[in-house]
Amino acid sequence: MSADMKTRAPRGGMLVDGLAQVGDCGLFLLNMLGAIPRSLRHLREISRQIWFVGAMSLVIIMISGLFVGMVLALQLYYTLSIFGGTAALGTVVALSLYRELGPVITALLFAGRAGTAMTAEIGLMRATDQLAAMEMMAVDPIAFVATPRFLAGVIAMPLLANVFSLLGLLGAHLVGVTWLGVDNGTFWSNMTSNVDVWKDIVNGTWKALAFGVVVSLIAVFQGYTAPPTSEGVAYATTRTVVFASIVVLALDFVMTAFLM
Amino acid sequence: MNPRRSFAAGTGLFILLGFAALAYLATQTSSVANFSSGPTYDVVAQFDNVGSLKDRAPVKVAGVRVGSVKSIQLDNQSMEAKVTLAIDTRYNDIPDDSFAKIMTSGLLGDQFVALSPGGSPDVLKNGSRIINTQSAMQLEDLIGKFLVGGSSPAKASSAGAAGGKSGG
Amino acid sequence: MPIEAVADALVEVRDLTTLLSGKAVFDGLSLDIPRGKVTAVMGPSGTGKTTLLKHITGQMRPDRGTLRVDGQNVPTLGREALYALRERIGYLFQNSALLTDYDVFENVAFPLRQHARLPEVLLRNIVLTKLQAVGLRGAARLMPSELSGGMARRVALARAIVFDPMLILYDEPFVGLDPIALNQVLKLIRTLNRTLGITSILVAHEFAAVRQVADLVHLIANGRCVASGTPEQLARGESDWTRQFFGGEADGPVPFQYPAGDYATALGFTGAAA
Repeated sequence: MSADMKTRAPRGGMLVDGLAQVGDCGLFLLNMLGAIPRSLRHLREISRQIWFVGAMSLVIIMISGLFVGMVLALQLYYTLSIFGGTAALGTVVALSLYRELGPVITALLFAGRAGTAMTAEIGLMRATDQLAAMEMMAVDPIAFVATPRFLAGVIAMPLLANVFSLLGLLGAHLVGVTWLGVDNGTFWSNMTSNVDVWKDIVNGTWKALAFGVVVSLIAVFQGYTAPPTSEGVAYATTRTVVFASIVVLALDFVMTAFLM
Repeated sequence: MNPRRSFAAGTGLFILLGFAALAYLATQTSSVANFSSGPTYDVVAQFDNVGSLKDRAPVKVAGVRVGSVKSIQLDNQSMEAKVTLAIDTRYNDIPDDSFAKIMTSGLLGDQFVALSPGGSPDVLKNGSRIINTQSAMQLEDLIGKFLVGGSSPAKASSAGAAGGKSGG
Repeated sequence: MPIEAVADALVEVRDLTTLLSGKAVFDGLSLDIPRGKVTAVMGPSGTGKTTLLKHITGQMRPDRGTLRVDGQNVPTLGREALYALRERIGYLFQNSALLTDYDVFENVAFPLRQHARLPEVLLRNIVLTKLQAVGLRGAARLMPSELSGGMARRVALARAIVFDPMLILYDEPFVGLDPIALNQVLKLIRTLNRTLGITSILVAHEFAAVRQVADLVHLIANGRCVASGTPEQLARGESDWTRQFFGGEADGPVPFQYPAGDYATALGFTGAAA
């Protein structure tokens, strides 16, 4: 009876499975990096993917950035006014955006908007034999499908994060200066004397780049290894969001501790 | 092919926009914005204590930015801080008896050098020295003055001496 | 059964053995695919017909045995050689596998764009010629999602022949087609073979359709080639295999029941009875 019911022997616990996945993911990354020279022949495909993952995410990034900046200004104005320090509003908003919120929120939104799209698209390409068809047409799907999407994500993320920060600043200016009456000159001059290009803006951009790498890697990997069924693709899409979010937040902590 | 062209153009536009955002943030919202683009002339002022004044802090006249702090060094003879101010050549008729003061913008704000114009017919030139200076207001001194101010004139005057070096 | 060596075989399979998760899909399979003919590979479901196609294209490697395509032993080929070989093989997927991002024209143009730097005019002419051959020149600007199953398969066929391959592999080309579309595909297979002399391997279940185009049929079961011959020979074949497969009997060498334990035991009747 039990022999009839038995389906599949569990091979090791969840820990082993998890480690195996991380290992597979690492190997997959090496594969993709190795395929970069061949991918460069598909520049048109890379550019198309930058359009899909980057430009198509612009609207959500800009709207979110604007609102995050606005709410940040409201909250910080309230807190700063307790200490009579509303002159520092511009500085605090700018630093929060450049160093943390810009890269992190952009990465989370990017995982939800572009990452899931990548996973679902590649998963469906697998399920409908498109990847096998490429193999058969002597086109390496890693070089043609995986690497261009990965590169596009890596390129698009820092750009999106900067757009997010810029719109956030705009939102904060709108609320802080136009609405709450912080002096325009103070807002900017306090910011310009406290924000450092290298320490704040460039380091924030590095962070965004690193997040671009992990989110794109997870999304492409999940899509590429998704079981070729509608259920499998659905699970893979969910996993992309969950894993990408956790890894981004954890990596953010590590990078902040070591980099800044 | 048309659709492919428009993809490429859109992608280019997106990349351009991203870099424009980065360029704007880097040049307009950071300390890079404080590097005046035009030519400047250097003026030296000595302070007892510069507090937390930093390189590239703004130099203002009547609240208007006219230059920035170029360097802060310790003068070995006088054991005072020697601050070099780079002032935009556009502002070339600041009287040479102007008064340099280290001030704080707001309670938590950063420190900057404020120049209060004097009445001299001569103006500051490259290499000029500002005689009249007032050091950074130290919060501790201020509190000390406040607490013991009325009862102990000796203390108050010493705090005042530490804080000001006017007349020199 | 012993195979008669074909004088001019494009594909030569010898003693092919493949294990998939411990189960032998092929157990010493040997067969020949003659050059310039249409050969059908038939057999019960799950006998690895698609796996055989994947071996021919090197997408899967067997555990033992040799498989020569035009003299090259595919399992030993490196990546470059394998890709060079694949450029000379057309593969028609069961579900067409058109690239959903591109329209019909770009799908057919895809292999050309990837492997040949052609002037746009020449490329356009080649693609339109191939589309004309499958009767879909007018559909060049449609997206794959706008095509019916039969049309998608014809587009996939145009894509498969865009490089004028020496060999085309058809994986279940008749599944899910209405009679009209089925006859169109049959006509195309025949035309491509007769006019261009392209060797064709056909994996299919529909004997009625197969006998209209195939010159030779291999029947695979239990990991071996159990019968070979012209469709007429096999239809009249006297072995158990041919009788069950071509006569369409439910039980025979392929049992109706999936292997299972004793029925009475499974229902729980053993204890009391014994």
